Amino acid sequence: MRLSFDAAVEDFRREFLAWLAEHRPSAAEMAADPARSSAHLPDWSRRWARQLFDAGWLVPGWPPERGGRNAGPVEQLVYLEELMRAGVPRTTNPQGLGIIAPSILDYGNADQVRDYALPILRGEKAGCLGMSEPGAGSDLAALATRAELRGDRFVIDGQKVWTSGANYADFCFLFCRTDPAAPKHRGISVVLVEMDRPGVQVKPLPEIVGRHDPDLNEVFFTGVEVPASQLVGQLGNGWAMANGSLAHERGMVWLDGVMGLQANAGRLIADAPHWLENLGATERAVHVDAVVRAYADAQAARCLGYRGFAKFARGGSAPEQALMKLMSSEARQGLALAGAELQGARGLDASPQLGPFPGWTPLEQYFVTFGGTISAGSSEIQRNIIAEKVLGLPRG
Amino acid sequence: MDLELSEEQSELRDGVRRVLEEQCPPALPRAVHEGDETGAALWRQMVALAWPGVAIAEAQGGLGLGAVELCLVAEELGREVAPGPFLATATQLAPLLQEAGSSALASERLGRIAAGALTGTVALAEQDRWELGRIACEARREGGGFRLTGHKTGVFDGATADEIAVVARGDEGLGVFLVPGDELKAKPRRLLDPTLALADLTLDGVDVPAERVVIAPGPAAERAVSRALEVATVALALATVGACRRIFEQTLEYAKVRRQYERPIGSFQALKHRLADMYLAVERATALGYFAALTLAEDDPRRAEAASLAKAEAGDCQRLLVGEGLQLHGGIGFTWEHDLHLWLMRAKAGDALLGGATEHRARLARQLGLVAA
Repeated sequence: MRLSFDAAVEDFRREFLAWLAEHRPSAAEMAADPARSSAHLPDWSRRWARQLFDAGWLVPGWPPERGGRNAGPVEQLVYLEELMRAGVPRTTNPQGLGIIAPSILDYGNADQVRDYALPILRGEKAGCLGMSEPGAGSDLAALATRAELRGDRFVIDGQKVWTSGANYADFCFLFCRTDPAAPKHRGISVVLVEMDRPGVQVKPLPEIVGRHDPDLNEVFFTGVEVPASQLVGQLGNGWAMANGSLAHERGMVWLDGVMGLQANAGRLIADAPHWLENLGATERAVHVDAVVRAYADAQAARCLGYRGFAKFARGGSAPEQALMKLMSSEARQGLALAGAELQGARGLDASPQLGPFPGWTPLEQYFVTFGGTISAGSSEIQRNIIAEKVLGLPRG
Repeated sequence: MDLELSEEQSELRDGVRRVLEEQCPPALPRAVHEGDETGAALWRQMVALAWPGVAIAEAQGGLGLGAVELCLVAEELGREVAPGPFLATATQLAPLLQEAGSSALASERLGRIAAGALTGTVALAEQDRWELGRIACEARREGGGFRLTGHKTGVFDGATADEIAVVARGDEGLGVFLVPGDELKAKPRRLLDPTLALADLTLDGVDVPAERVVIAPGPAAERAVSRALEVATVALALATVGACRRIFEQTLEYAKVRRQYERPIGSFQALKHRLADMYLAVERATALGYFAALTLAEDDPRRAEAASLAKAEAGDCQRLLVGEGLQLHGGIGFTWEHDLHLWLMRAKAGDALLGGATEHRARLARQLGLVAA
């Protein structure tokens, strides 16, 4: 156990910080043209991706030919810590960089790597991830979107929903059913579909907060034809890819939640005295307790995340990692709620700014956090996973 | 930050666990509850293994390890509801003596603690509040030494410790005075968890000669007491988490084997979600506990905040684990015959002593500037 990393890791940190200071997009540049969805690539974002890729800083854990530098897990952690601390997004197409590109690199052929994976890494294309459907949310294997192989083409019919960034993406990494006769986990494949193909229709689903810049969409596929060569990997290995793709950078995904919590907790502690000022002693004590609890949750998430990471970095199993999504998303919600309740009726005021990255008020933030507790395996699913996979309780 | 035990630390933990599983089966704390045991043999075993001196310098005869290892032993002792003088001697008195610098008195006593020749404790709380600002016990200069007058409560091993470090207030602030246990009037408390022995002390003009003044009244003593209290607090937090982890393990096991409606009760989602929450509570309290231990080991400026975070978290953890652990065991956990209550009572005690979760959140509020200090 140690509070700091060893000298070689700190050298790595300094090297990255020096590079970052020189090449990072400025805050003004980012604010002037913010990314409006999770597949929108403003000009600064395209330039930034290219610079990261060329310098080997895009995915430090990968080999140089994939835009990396063979960094170890601890170095990758340090890299992400510093990017987040600097307030610079690593990408404005997180599903593309985090899931789609690595999946194509792992499973796709050379043409797909050239036409899809590398363009994502270089900030030239953005992808969206076609997974959830109206009848297949937490239970992804129930998906019904059909891709029927007819000669040298797939004909695709069906509907996706909750598709982040579909309104800006160049293509979709589409999970679809290619063998309706097979057991439900087996008949699923992945096909790459350009979003401008005839028969693809995107209908944004504005969210309860920030409706002017929707990120979520419904995507309808009606007789969409794509060449059979758009199949990624083998027929029927979609389920393996869904599990594998979600495991990319598995050791690091917790950091985003933890760093976000730290920042939010810091803001809450800084703002709280102002709101506490005019309260009576009893109300103040009650609110103070809620604020301290929220702060403690953020610290607990940080310690739990780093503890799990230390096990992961040593190559051991880290059951903590199964807890992090649940914990961080619920802690974010509790923290926002503590802030909102502290503001009383004033907390009802809408934030003045429109746009995708406004300074949400705590109450707006509270509603936004439900994106975290509902998506990517709801908190209820997370508890089931912990109970069954980590604790070994029998399936009901 | 690396928050996982090193190889040496894991070995120490495994070694301690092996010894305790053998020397401190549930029958031992049960016998203490039922009045036929004090745990003296277990203490002799701990002394033979040099545990009292785990965090005492090698030069003083200890193992020369740090706060992480100290807390690790405390966690394991909590796990087995072990009785005995370890908490009071090794996590309360020894750290306070270590804060006294290089005084001959402190050094000599640390040597004897490490050798297992001395047990001790710290008398700090008054009216069961472990807050320095509330200490009213008086230390008046008398001849070359001091005369102590006042009341102390909730003193760990207060009726049995060889030496008691009394924290009392002089004209220049708090001071620390080492008094032989048999010179103090101690009233043992009858506790729901007798594996922890508490006593209330009355000091009606106890004379302390100059050579028994550990730290003379003044700001240095106040700082030393705060820092030592941080060590005791984190050790107790982890001891409490250790008890909670055992409650969790037993409840999980029970949910897997207990069948109703022709299926294990652990297959019902209503129980699964509660067990997942219990597991999360134990893991987060462990992580915050070891973070705090690490800030002590490296003397990081966050140590006071981390200690309060750890203790508050341990308190919240036991609140969930005791309630859910008992509820999910159903009727069997409600019986004296079943061992579960041993851990339930220890976990409750671990929260209430050295300041509970509410008190530590109040401290955090002051540290974070949310309320006036």
